[in-house]
Amino acid sequence: MMPSRRSPVEREGRAGRGLSAPWSPLRLRGHQERALVGVLMALPALAFFAAFAIYPILRVFYLSLFEYNLTSPERWIGLGNFAYLFADPTFKAAVVNTAVYVVGTYLPTIVLALLIAIGLNHRSHVAGVLRTIYFVPVAMTWVVVTIMWHLIYNRFGLLDQLLHLHTNWLTDGTWAPLALIIMSVWKEVGFFVIIFLAGLQSIRHDIYEAAAVDGAGPLRIQLHVTLPLLRPVLAVATIFAVIRGMQAFTPQYVLTDGGPGDATQVINLLVYKTAFVYAEMGRASAIAVLMFGALLVMTLLQLRIFRARSA
Amino acid sequence: MSLQGVEAERSAAGLSGATASAGWVFRFVLLGLGAAALALPFAYAISTVLKPAAEALSVPIHWLPSRFLWANFLLPFQQTNYGRYFFNSFLVGVSVVILNLITCPLAGYSFCKLRYPGRDLLFLVVLATLMIPLEVIYVPLYDLVFKLGWTNTYWGLIIPAGTSAFGIFLMRQTTMAIPDELLDAARMDGASEWRIYIRIVLPLLRPALAVLAIFIFMNNWDSLLWPLLVAGKDNYWTLPVGLAAMQNNNEVNFSLLMAAALEASVPTLVVYFLLQRYFVAGIALAAGLQG
Amino acid sequence: MFDSDPRALIEDSLARCVPRRAILKQLVAMGLALPAASALLDACSGQAAGGSSAKVTISLWTHTHPPMIQLMKTLIKEYEARHEGVTIDYQQIPNNEFGPKMLTALSSGSGPDVINMDDVSLRGDYIPKGLVVPVDPKALGYESVEALTSRYIPGAFVGATGGDGKIYGVPLEYDAAAFGFHFDQFQEAGLDPSSPPRTWGDVATMGRQLVQYQGGTMVRQGFDFLYLHSGWYTDFIELLLHQTGGHILNSQRTASVIAQSRSVQALTIWNDLINKYHVGDPHVSSTDATVPYSDFYTGKLSMTVLIGPWAQAQMQQTYAGQYRQVKMAAVPQVDPSRPASRCYGYFMAVNKASKVQEEAWKFIAYVTSQHDRWLSDVLFVQPIKGWQNTAAARKIDFIDVWAESYATAKFDEVGPHWSEIEDTLKSSIQDTVFNGVPPETSFTRAQSEIDRILKG
Repeated sequence: MMPSRRSPVEREGRAGRGLSAPWSPLRLRGHQERALVGVLMALPALAFFAAFAIYPILRVFYLSLFEYNLTSPERWIGLGNFAYLFADPTFKAAVVNTAVYVVGTYLPTIVLALLIAIGLNHRSHVAGVLRTIYFVPVAMTWVVVTIMWHLIYNRFGLLDQLLHLHTNWLTDGTWAPLALIIMSVWKEVGFFVIIFLAGLQSIRHDIYEAAAVDGAGPLRIQLHVTLPLLRPVLAVATIFAVIRGMQAFTPQYVLTDGGPGDATQVINLLVYKTAFVYAEMGRASAIAVLMFGALLVMTLLQLRIFRARSA
Repeated sequence: MSLQGVEAERSAAGLSGATASAGWVFRFVLLGLGAAALALPFAYAISTVLKPAAEALSVPIHWLPSRFLWANFLLPFQQTNYGRYFFNSFLVGVSVVILNLITCPLAGYSFCKLRYPGRDLLFLVVLATLMIPLEVIYVPLYDLVFKLGWTNTYWGLIIPAGTSAFGIFLMRQTTMAIPDELLDAARMDGASEWRIYIRIVLPLLRPALAVLAIFIFMNNWDSLLWPLLVAGKDNYWTLPVGLAAMQNNNEVNFSLLMAAALEASVPTLVVYFLLQRYFVAGIALAAGLQG
Repeated sequence: MFDSDPRALIEDSLARCVPRRAILKQLVAMGLALPAASALLDACSGQAAGGSSAKVTISLWTHTHPPMIQLMKTLIKEYEARHEGVTIDYQQIPNNEFGPKMLTALSSGSGPDVINMDDVSLRGDYIPKGLVVPVDPKALGYESVEALTSRYIPGAFVGATGGDGKIYGVPLEYDAAAFGFHFDQFQEAGLDPSSPPRTWGDVATMGRQLVQYQGGTMVRQGFDFLYLHSGWYTDFIELLLHQTGGHILNSQRTASVIAQSRSVQALTIWNDLINKYHVGDPHVSSTDATVPYSDFYTGKLSMTVLIGPWAQAQMQQTYAGQYRQVKMAAVPQVDPSRPASRCYGYFMAVNKASKVQEEAWKFIAYVTSQHDRWLSDVLFVQPIKGWQNTAAARKIDFIDVWAESYATAKFDEVGPHWSEIEDTLKSSIQDTVFNGVPPETSFTRAQSEIDRILKG
């Protein structure tokens, strides 16, 4: 139960049945007024949107069919940019690495976050302090986090001093992707803990009591009561995870610049380089269009899966 | 209005104080270990700030500095234009948050509760923009901002971020939880649509507005590429640009860099801790968690 | 489903809203006041330089190199003092973001009036795209372009010459490579500091004696190149390519020839030093672009190739103690009988979109005429004829080593889509040096990549 929906209403505990009164003439006029006000209310946001999102995005779609280096006039090449990309090993590497990064980072993140949230879902000072610690990385920006971890991953940094593995975290093609994943899990886990805690706190107390009365043990309660009830939250969490993961940029940009080789090249970094370093705006736009399509399909799929399951 | 509600919901999981047992101790020891692992990088960063330069990255590691150089925390302000970057980040962040707190709930409410032709299509378009990587629209956007004469101005940093697809989405989701009956009753009482919005809807959206404010503020605080492109002069640089410059600057030392990084996190940490309760409640709203 | 009275709720909301509205008003007012306040702050922070005659503001962007910035600021003050009404708006860009930011700004018709740009970007992007204008000899104080170029050593302007044969910039710095080594470490290792390595083979043998391990980690590298952004990778592979006679592109610049044996030989030399003779470990090299040569400056790297004299000055200024223990020598060669090396330059050029082009060239004329100060303060060589014999030059350590290195040096090759090709080179070098892919395989892959890039 959402507090903000229930509490003010319920605190005013008086009975009132005024809702059933007939007031149809008012409703007709109201509809028209509401339509007008509705448009007016959406207008400020839509104006910002039209200028600073829709226009540039339409231009991205348009440019994906052109060769455009920012200075010479655009040259129509049809699907040339897409053909180029499908034959481009760097693009392929970026797609694969992005998929690895999304799954590698967010699968453990979501599992860990779920466990931590269940553990922290307890009203005590200890839980409060721990919760605060888990939230700290969420409140830090990626730029700051990457600067900190750059030092940690240094050959003489914290990790090597701790583990004595002599691993070349950022310069070895097999370790660099893992290094980015470890850092990202550290950064992101708190965010999902918040989401799951919110979900857990919306589960009503009496459901657990009923389950306990029925003789279910704590593990079974979590498996058969908590998880099913958390399904809508899990849906939101995975959508968040995919969008955040697919759009990852700062870690790869600051820590490895996509290297060594193409080991940590991801889609967004490639978009940035293609657009701003290589000045191939048309091709960068084509990558963006492909990514847009992929994200859209995945979001729709996720929604369908979760809807089907909860139905 | 809702804090007591949140508190009342806190003691979930169906376990009262009486059942606190060895299991709980075990649980908190595990969680504590996790938290310690999570906190270690901070301890390392702080100790790096306080160390003399020679002890950073030394082998073997100096866990504790031989001397505690607290003054190192002032280095970024002494050696770079850090104060100005801070001011800029604040100015831009607060302005963008205010704009979003105006535009997003208005649009979200409109998309949710007021019917007019094309409404759902508009909302879908807004949602779809969430899927476009920001980096790629920066080029056409930069073109536009330049033509408007906004490069090297705060306008160029603030105005394009004046609304957000995520914010509108969040507000629409949250508004869904407000019962229509409540609004209809107000209409029956003769309240105008604007009055209903300001007097009823906005107060009910407060936890979600807190979430929105945090998200927008954080995003802005984290934004590196756009300010870098728009702000040519370092008078307009924000913290991430300043940090990137420090990392590039040939005279950088790790104490300075870590001090700058940690200090850049203070405002967002404060914002988080102040609004943490609202944040949890707001996420619950956004996820559409009805009881 | 609702058993409460909505009207009571509304009244309650109304009552609670009143004080909040006042707060909101204040907040909004603050939001509006802040930009105004900061505009004021800006106005106060020195934009309002006064002058009675016509006011001109010339904007200048450079990359970040602290000694350069310091002298540039001094020169700007002097120039402003001498030219009433002229204000120079000087901005430094973080090095990693320098390229993208400059290109985006200039491409959209914005950007500063004056840029300071390396020759490869100038020839690869800025001149072909028409973003900069040819030099204005009159504003620079010369009768003609020939009068300008004849003051400089032959070839100095190759790095700023367009496909049309016109010259687009005046050199602020002109850099050739030298070999730096810590002679105290030579002595420790039983090597003779008076005969530094002449070939890459020598580097391998001597380097192995200089390497030091602690645990499993190389704590002192004998020799290594640097591993920063793609431009640096290209710098070093070009140095080796100049020596092996290999190329990246064919002479028409229509296809890549980097898989040919002479080109592969360049990467093989690099790879052998690291993965065969283990004289260096790129994994322990400082990979931040913080202080490019920090490992060498601090003695964690015994020998390296300094790509410009500025590095010597930087070491002298920031690591004076260690500086006393180093010497410079000629760059090791593939074939010492036919020595070859590379040079590069940074040229000051004027944005085509600038509305104050003449004033911009006049400012450039002043900055690039302070040869002695650039030499003694920053060790930027401005290649006017006889520069190495000036009094300022004679005061500089190892000046003859540096002067000689210019004699065998040529500018790098450059072609269309160059920044993308540089990234490909970086990837393939990393594949070999970091990930152990054989040089032939890396450069064969690179060749087909570059061919694809060229076809577009």
